[in-house]
Formats: sequence, structure tokens, C-alpha cells
Amino acid sequence: MSEDLSQRHSAFRFHGTWREFAGIAFPNLLLTIVTLGIYRFWATTREREYLWGKTDFIDERLEWTGKGMELFIGFIMVFFLLGLPLIVIQLVSQGLIFRGETVIAAAVTLVMFLLLFYLTGLAYFRALRYRLSRTYWRGIRGGSDDPGFQYGLSYIWRSFVGWLPIFLLVPWSMISLWNERWNAMSFGPHRFSANAEWKPLMRRYLLFYLVPFLVFVGAVAFGIAIAASGGQPDALGGTGMAIGGILLIFAVLAMYIVLPLAALAYYSKYFRLAVGGLRLHDLEFEFRARAPDWILFFLANMAIIICTLGIGYIFMPYRNWKFFIDHMEAYGEVNIDELTQSETIVSKHGEGLLDAFDVGAI
Amino acid sequence: MSSFFDAWHYDGRSAVRRKVEVQTIGQQFFLLETERRHGPFAFADVEYVQHKGDVDVYGLSGVDGWRLMLSGPVPAELSAHLPSRRRYGGWVDRLGLGKATVVFSVARAAAIAVVLLSPQWLAPLIPQSVDKKLGDALVGDFGGRFCSTPAGKAALKKLVASLDSSPDDLQVEVAKIDMINAVALPGGKVILFDGLVKQARSPDEVAGVLAHEIGHVREKHVMQALLRQMGLAVVLGGVDGNSGALVNNMLAMSYSREAEAEADAHSMKALGNADISPVGTASFFERLSELDGSARGGEEGRGITGYMSSHPLSRERKKAFEKSIVKGKDYKPALTSAEWTELKTMCTQDRNAKSGFGFDFE
Ligand SMILES: [Zn+2]
Repeated sequence: MSEDLSQRHSAFRFHGTWREFAGIAFPNLLLTIVTLGIYRFWATTREREYLWGKTDFIDERLEWTGKGMELFIGFIMVFFLLGLPLIVIQLVSQGLIFRGETVIAAAVTLVMFLLLFYLTGLAYFRALRYRLSRTYWRGIRGGSDDPGFQYGLSYIWRSFVGWLPIFLLVPWSMISLWNERWNAMSFGPHRFSANAEWKPLMRRYLLFYLVPFLVFVGAVAFGIAIAASGGQPDALGGTGMAIGGILLIFAVLAMYIVLPLAALAYYSKYFRLAVGGLRLHDLEFEFRARAPDWILFFLANMAIIICTLGIGYIFMPYRNWKFFIDHMEAYGEVNIDELTQSETIVSKHGEGLLDAFDVGAI
Repeated sequence: MSSFFDAWHYDGRSAVRRKVEVQTIGQQFFLLETERRHGPFAFADVEYVQHKGDVDVYGLSGVDGWRLMLSGPVPAELSAHLPSRRRYGGWVDRLGLGKATVVFSVARAAAIAVVLLSPQWLAPLIPQSVDKKLGDALVGDFGGRFCSTPAGKAALKKLVASLDSSPDDLQVEVAKIDMINAVALPGGKVILFDGLVKQARSPDEVAGVLAHEIGHVREKHVMQALLRQMGLAVVLGGVDGNSGALVNNMLAMSYSREAEAEADAHSMKALGNADISPVGTASFFERLSELDGSARGGEEGRGITGYMSSHPLSRERKKAFEKSIVKGKDYKPALTSAEWTELKTMCTQDRNAKSGFGFDFE
């Protein structure tokens, strides 16, 4: 018994509606407000149950089995393991500054920074692991036996190497971290393999990287051209000032519009390459959204949030998931008989760290 | 007694989907395939997983990925054994959304009230030794910034003794920092900044400020503020990021106003007992209300009640001090002019004390 995906339109299909989602999101908002935010862990869980349950992979829906309590416990753990020590460290370093021990205070702050950085990496890893271990398809789940401590160290050094040559190796660090993260993950009996390449990403990255310079150079060139066509340089006077002002406004606008667009173009390429390098046994994956899709998606999100005076924010999980699934594609075969239960350990707590740092998992 | 009807089943070991019939026998049941029988399973182990489309999904505790999916009208005798649906999570489901909202709102208000009010009762219960240790840890010798000359110290001691009945558990110091500020810290420590002493036009002004800070110590405001901040951090921990910090600061601010008023009242009483005229302090506030932010020192973070940090109402405080003048009372200057000169020039005379704040390397 096996499924050949080549004949199907798309292996992933999402058939939720925003009206149904509203029926979950609004009570969630209400309960989150009246519980001083504590309900948000259960709110997240309910939203995921809906989104996963409305997502078909081949012929069966996904299932989210995470619990609000797990996320809550994760949060509490972070609060006591991280929040309180940080408050104490802050007090101590303040005391050190008071006493004039500036060097020691700086050292304490540096150690605190490195620790936070390490924990951020760990959080990314743990969140992915948690999400896979709570995602079921046909009664089978994913996971990882790697606790991610090594990944935390990788996260530090790869990030630093990425920044060291004036931030030019950021694409390398992003892709290599993605690969390292996913190579540690599995679904059922199969291990993911991630072999995304970073070099094809460089052109887009350089585009993004050079935008500020290009805008500057463009503005200067434009200014020179105008001045040249205007004839006598000494006759410019007021007109010259006006043109200069317009140029400045043009440059600022370009920065605010072009820079985010270039960032989205880069991210779209990154995500396409990263997902494209992913394999699970006989399955290959593809993410089909290209830069214009991302830009439209981004603009629509902005419009929704602005037009609803911010309330539209509660629909963002729905929008993100729909965008993700709509553009996700898988090729190859799934052998149902071979797909046996994952033997990875299941942690009892959720994405506490990630929640604390407010970052996304994938 | 047994009944038969259709259902789907995943055994959690492989991804094969099995069409089964549920055979109920008392508190247990079997799942019958064409050629296989799964079970027996106990109804007590069955857990509700979720509702997918028109299907209710059940799991089995202890068996990862085990699923029983029932659709259509489930016979009453079976559904009576099955756990009920879950919508918002345990508590909310039991109460209903409306009642739960009310209950949570009340609980929220109660939690905030406890956190805001309890420090007043809790602060006096904190042993003096803990308070003392905290103060020592925080301040130490203030990086050698405390000024000391025999005559200056004697003048300060006289001033403290006139304002407080048990001056021995106070530690009042003048720090060589050019800011118009004074702080009360844990462990009965009061620090007057040299900038404040220098700009004062009479010892009576310094006496009023000093008595105000002693008021903070005697009313246990420092420990209260510390406890309140910690409590709010716990209660508002569930609210994410900015809104939490905003609420936190607003609540803390409103309480610090109250503390300032109490400290002012303490100051007026102490001045009255010492026969020191409040006129000096009133004129100090007069000048302060003309002076704007620039000359005032920054706030030194949580738990430290800065004299300047939380009093936008200098004018009203000036009036309050003016009102406390008792006509015809025989006021005496807080210090003799010789003593006052010694105190005022203590930091200039003491060449061993370091100057400035901890941030500059010397
Ligand atoms: Zn005060």
C-alpha cells in the first residue's frame, strides 16, 4: 500500500475558512484579556488544533496534539530558570556599577548576553522539535532525540561567523543552521535530511545588502544629471534647493519601500532554497511562493491590520498558516506500511523559551 | 450486551488506516477488523482528542498515536462511555464561556489587588538583617564616592540625630556626584548627592530632603517597591511584552506617588519636632518647579526611590510645606553656619573620594 504523489494536484491542501477561525480567535482574545494573558497558551493550542485539522496531507488531515498546559509549563519554567536569575543578575550588575566595579559589571553583562544568545538558539531548536512531536498524521508523529544543546553552541558561533565579515556571511549562517536543525529531526521512522545550499542565495542577499548604497548612488547620479541639464551651475539657487529636497524625500521613501521589498525578496529565496533542500525518506519538498507572492502577502497583512485598527492581528496565525500550506508541495512516495511510529522521546513542556523570546519556529 | 457499528482506527504503530467495528463489552471494548481483533481496551483509558470535520477523534492513554475516529450518529450506549468534547479547555468548558469570563475577570482584579496591597503588610515582615544585606550588596562603599571629613561628618550626624529618634540604624552619606538628587536604599541607607547639598541655600533645605528620604526608610517604601515590582512581574508575566511593562509602570507609578506623599508628611513632622523651619524646603521646591528635567538625575531603576524621579508636582509639594509652617513658633536653623559650611564643602575638601558616576573609567 503506497501513495504515488505524482498524479495528485498538491500533496498539501488547506480548507479552513476565516469565518470558522474567527469563531475561535474572538473567544480566545476575550479569554486572554480577562485572564491577564495566561489563557494565551490554551488559545494558541486551540488555533493550532483548528489549523492542523483543516490541513490535508494526501488523504488524511494533520492533527495537533499539543496542550495549553505544556506551553504554560514551558513558560513557567522559563520564568523561574531565566526570568528571575536575569532580574538578580541585573540587580547585581547595578550594584557593581554603584560600587564602581565597571569592568566586572561589563563582564557580567557580556556573560548574560552570551547566555541569552545561546538560549535563543536552543529555543529555535526546541520549538521545532516540540511542534514535530505534537504533529500527527495517520497516528504517526515526528520528533528528535537531540536535546539541542549542541545546536545552541552552533547558533552562537555560526551567527558570529556570519556577522564577522561585515555581515556578508549571514546567508551561510542562516542556511547552515536550518540544515543543522532539520538534520536532527525525524518523522515516524525516517530522519529528515537537509542539504540546502547557501551560495545561490548570495545574489539576493547582496541586492538587499547594497540597497542603501544603490539608493545613495542613484540619488547623487540623478542630482548630477539634473544639474548638468539645468545649464549654469551658479544659476541653480532656489531651484537647486528644491530639487535637493525632492531628492532627499525620494531617497528616504526608497529606503522605506525598497529595503523591505529587498528583504522580502531575500527571505522568499531563502525559504524556497531551505525547503527545497529538505528530504524525508522518499519525499521531497518544495515551497512555491516567489518574491511577488511574499510581497502581496505582506502588503495584504498590513492592509488587514490597518483597516481593522489592529484587531485583524488575531487573524495572522490563520493567514500565515494558509500561506505556508498553499505554497507547500511534496513529491515522491509515502509507503504507508513502512511509516511506523516515531521512537523519539516526547518532552512534557512546550515552547517556553521561544515564547519568552517571541520568535517563530520554522 | 454488545453492539456493532462502523469506525476508523490507527493503531499508533503504523500509518495503516483500518476500518473497524466497535464491540462493547461492559467497561471494555474490542476493535474488529476483517481478520484481526484489537484489544481489549478500557473505556477509562479513552481520551477525547478533537473534532475534525464531522468526525470525533479519540485517543488511548499510554498508546502513542492510537486513534479511534467515529462519525455519524454514535449509539447512546457507546457515547455514554466516551469522554465529552473539549472546546476551550477544562475550566472554561465546565463553567461556560460567559461565566468563565466573569470568574476570570474577578480573579484577575483580586490578583492585582493582592500584589499591590500585600507589600504594605509583607515589607515589615522581612527581617532587618535581610534588608541590611541587600543594601550592603547593592551599595557597598559606592565605589569610594562617599565624602568624609571629621567636621562634615559631625555636622551630618547632628542633622540626622535631630530628624530621627533612632539614628543608629540609618546610614546617611554624601556622595561626590554632581546631581540634584537623593536616594533611599535598602538597609536604611540614604545617599545625598553632592550636587543637591551644594545648590542648597540653607541647611534647612537639606534637612527637609533628608527627612523625606528617612521617611521612605521608616515607612519601608523601598522594600515595598521591590516586592511590588516582583509581584507585578509574576502576575503580569502572562501578558506579552510592551503592554505588560506599560501596565506595570503605571501601577508602580501611582503607588510611588502615594509613597512620596507619605514621605513628605514624615518630613514635615520630623522638621516640626526638630524645630526646623519648613520654609527652606518649600523654597527648594519652588526652585525645583522652575528647573526642568535636564538638571535632574536619572532614575536608578527598580526598588530605589529617587527623590527627583517621581514627583511632577513640585508646586503642590511646595504649598504643602508652606502650610505646615506654624506661625509664631521659634524655629532654629538646622545647623550653625560653621557646621553648614563644613557639610557643604565636605566633598570639595575630601580629595580621596572619587567623583562622578560609575560609568566613566578613571
Ligand atoms: Zn521620595
